[in-house]
Amino acid sequence: METSFAITGKGYVIVAADTTASRSIVKMKVDEDKIKTLSPHLLMAYSGEPGDTMQFAEYVERNIRLYQIRNLYALRPSAAASWIRRSLAESIRSRKPYAVNLLLGGYDTATHTPHLYWVDYLGTMTEVPFGAHGYGSYFALSLLDRYHDPEASLEEGLATLKRCIEEVSKRLVVAPGNYKVKVVDKNGVREVEL
Amino acid sequence: MASVYSPPGFNFSNEIRNNFLLEKGLPLPKATSTGTTIVGCLFKDGIVLGADTRATEGPIVADKNCEKIHYITENIRCCGAGTAADTEFTTALISSNMELHALSTGRKPRVVTAMTMLKQMLYRYQGHVGAALVLGGVDATGPHLFTIHPHGSTDKLPYVTMGSGSLAAMAVFESGWRADMSRDEALNLVKAAISAGIFNDLGSGSNVDACIITATHTELLRNVEMPNQRVEKERKYAFRRGTTAWKNQTVRDLIVKEELTTVGAGPGEAMDTT
Amino acid sequence: MSIMELNGGSVIAMVGKDCVAIASDLRLGNQALGISANFQKIFPVTDRIYLGLPGLATDVTTLRERFRFRVNMYTIKEEREIEPETFARLVSSTLYEHRFGPYFIEPVMAGLSKTPSGGYKPFIAAADLIGCLNFAKDFVVAGTASSKLYGVAEGLWEPDLEPEDLFETISQTLLNAVDRDAYSGWGCVVHVITKDKVVTRTLKGRMD
Repeated sequence: METSFAITGKGYVIVAADTTASRSIVKMKVDEDKIKTLSPHLLMAYSGEPGDTMQFAEYVERNIRLYQIRNLYALRPSAAASWIRRSLAESIRSRKPYAVNLLLGGYDTATHTPHLYWVDYLGTMTEVPFGAHGYGSYFALSLLDRYHDPEASLEEGLATLKRCIEEVSKRLVVAPGNYKVKVVDKNGVREVEL
Repeated sequence: MASVYSPPGFNFSNEIRNNFLLEKGLPLPKATSTGTTIVGCLFKDGIVLGADTRATEGPIVADKNCEKIHYITENIRCCGAGTAADTEFTTALISSNMELHALSTGRKPRVVTAMTMLKQMLYRYQGHVGAALVLGGVDATGPHLFTIHPHGSTDKLPYVTMGSGSLAAMAVFESGWRADMSRDEALNLVKAAISAGIFNDLGSGSNVDACIITATHTELLRNVEMPNQRVEKERKYAFRRGTTAWKNQTVRDLIVKEELTTVGAGPGEAMDTT
Repeated sequence: MSIMELNGGSVIAMVGKDCVAIASDLRLGNQALGISANFQKIFPVTDRIYLGLPGLATDVTTLRERFRFRVNMYTIKEEREIEPETFARLVSSTLYEHRFGPYFIEPVMAGLSKTPSGGYKPFIAAADLIGCLNFAKDFVVAGTASSKLYGVAEGLWEPDLEPEDLFETISQTLLNAVDRDAYSGWGCVVHVITKDKVVTRTLKGRMD
């Protein structure tokens, strides 16, 4: 089943999402990238109803890009998160709402601080030091409660993330196989291998 | 972009979302209701209205001393039972419309006018606006007393009761009401009827409010009887300062500090005012 | 499980001597799973009005934005700050407008209102989810721990508490009530509003 994690550390946010695209009990694809780069310093991991996720993620991606083209500057993480939350809050009031859950990790280049937002399909949003969606969250959140350190270096952060993934693989019956991991910090966005 | 002014009437924008949540098996939470005993009775010179002062949220007493006798006009008042927000807003709306009506006709408003406005509104909402009302007042045609049910039906009677305590209160009226009572007799009967509700109905409680309306004068007797006063606590339960451990504190200073610096004109260069 | 228990959370406000206090827990949950231990439910409206919004978390943010917009419009049009009594009516009518498709929020307001003589008078109020106001003289509560808060506050509150004593009373009331509520807790925040300052403290609470 779909699982995504994100953790903040000293000057960075790590976002990880599984790469399985499944339909019912069948794995359709095993190398799906479910983390979009919305702006030079903003990442969004999305999960939920298959059609909705792609549609909504692309809608957000293009609108954030449009804002950057019009204003020369990209939205800061908190502003982007507020706009995305509002889109979901308006969507849930429509006839066919998007069933999409998000983790938004960004690096604020103005204040030089990393930010992570946990957002669900109802339009619930909160800033968190670490967050997770899907069945994996039941294992990962308790683990991160114990091992998360907001002052950890990137290596330590990745090690903590690895513990999460291993714990989920070990204990969750429907654990996903592979994960894609991306990092956002002052240098922008990059993918890392665990 | 949201407008500065919202259009009149109810807003249904949350309807789809809420139905969706309802389908997930999450029931709607309860709104405050006034379990309530409300009464009204006719006497020689006018009308006496009465109400208890308890508001409930399911089994919890949400407000121990709320006001259930609402202002319609100077000579008309209305007691409300049912969904508390509905009685509050319905009477406020009709009160506003009655004032406008009085201003446009240039006449003292009549009780039937208020009754008609209320029943037409409640009928329009088919019982979804859950207001059960006792309307009373004195106008050019004499004293009038009505009950209005949530679906919009009305009765005109010499003595009426409504709310969950209506049976207890009606028992008192049935045994004690007579035509052409004096003011004091009527007030005592209303007090007895409301007290019957307070002490025998769980949805009603606390104090008695009454309102006496005559052709010349309206008198609101707020908390005319207080049979359930709490005695003073025998001990102090304040905590010793420093009991609660706190992690951090921020202080937002609301005093605006202002400092005046005189620039330019020194003491020797006072303005020439000759 | 009702909609109010989806995210959990509770708020309480109390009157003291020339001061008021408003406090809430900090939990945001997804049913039984805790998501955040720093979810603010109390927001400043003006210097001397604070608004607590316990209930469905998406509506906490939506209503917070809505009230900020409407208070800003009021301030611009009237060229003065909104008074707590007026703000309570604004909250109430906003909620009643959504009578047949409500926001799942039970607001709690606390503030100091200006008196004609230039002083300040404590003010607290609460509303149900469709905007029925409750102007209490002592304390108001709302949220998933409301039934417990009623009981504890009824026992501990007394009139004319000084700001520091009011802080202790409201803090102990909230801490002990949320300990008996599975959906509230994970730390608390308390605001004590007096005429010349607002003191905000984060409490050390149980994290279970």
